[in-house]
Amino acid sequence: MILVIGAIASGKLEYVKSLGYSDSDIADGVLDERPVLNNLQDMVFSDPAGSDKLYDALLKKEVVICNEVGSGIIPFQRTDREAREATGRLCNRLAQAAERVVRLVCGIPIVIKE
Amino acid sequence: MRILLTGGSACGKSTYAETLAVRLAAPRYYIATMRIFDDESQKKVDQHRKMRKTKNFITIERDTDIHLIRLPQRSTVLLECMCNLTANEMFDNYGNITDVYDKIISGIESLASQCENLIVVTNDVGSDGGEYDAGTREYIKTLGRLNISLAQRFDCVYELVCGIPLVLKGRLL
Repeated sequence: MILVIGAIASGKLEYVKSLGYSDSDIADGVLDERPVLNNLQDMVFSDPAGSDKLYDALLKKEVVICNEVGSGIIPFQRTDREAREATGRLCNRLAQAAERVVRLVCGIPIVIKE
Repeated sequence: MRILLTGGSACGKSTYAETLAVRLAAPRYYIATMRIFDDESQKKVDQHRKMRKTKNFITIERDTDIHLIRLPQRSTVLLECMCNLTANEMFDNYGNITDVYDKIISGIESLASQCENLIVVTNDVGSDGGEYDAGTREYIKTLGRLNISLAQRFDCVYELVCGIPLVLKGRLL
């Protein structure tokens, strides 16, 4: 599995398409048979407590795309804090298992694990 | 060796910091700065205590005034974290804000002069572009200035991303 992370609009999706995937390969925040999952953070934010259960299914994906959500001021709402932490922790676990981790900055892919 | 670790929430800073400290000279002191005021902060403290349990840290709880700390032996110190320490020093319960930059820098220098290895964990609070009240804006600025100053003084600066250390200054230890 390749984990692709980066800020909102940092070029993650374009990068994944440059690997040869097309729109029909990319699921948006839903687990199905498509090989690429985009917007993992949306799935975690809708159910932070259940995010650990996504792990096994995510490992079977070819590519998982997730926004980096941990920077900036810690949110005032507890539910936002929990969702942010759950996203970060899940990404840490995914990065450990991933064969490659790519971070996008200004559209530039930086391989941070290979 | 002085090492600064930065990154967002839940990016693996604490785990990495502890693993790094374990590889460096014993005894290892852990300076805990979190103030417990509700069940959420209690949970966080418990979670960190559990993580440290098998790693033989001597915990020093000090939510302000780190310049008062006297370390019995020169060794390895892990300070966690700048964001709590800065908030604790800056804000009181009456809405007053204190300029804490010089005080915190001297506190860090005092610690650094008493140990062989100092690992400091900080946070990247300035990059969400949100609109905040004056107090929070001052906090973001202060922590940003502290981070710059520490990065200049320290030997190594790493940014943690998904648990992976990216070297911003120095080399990977």
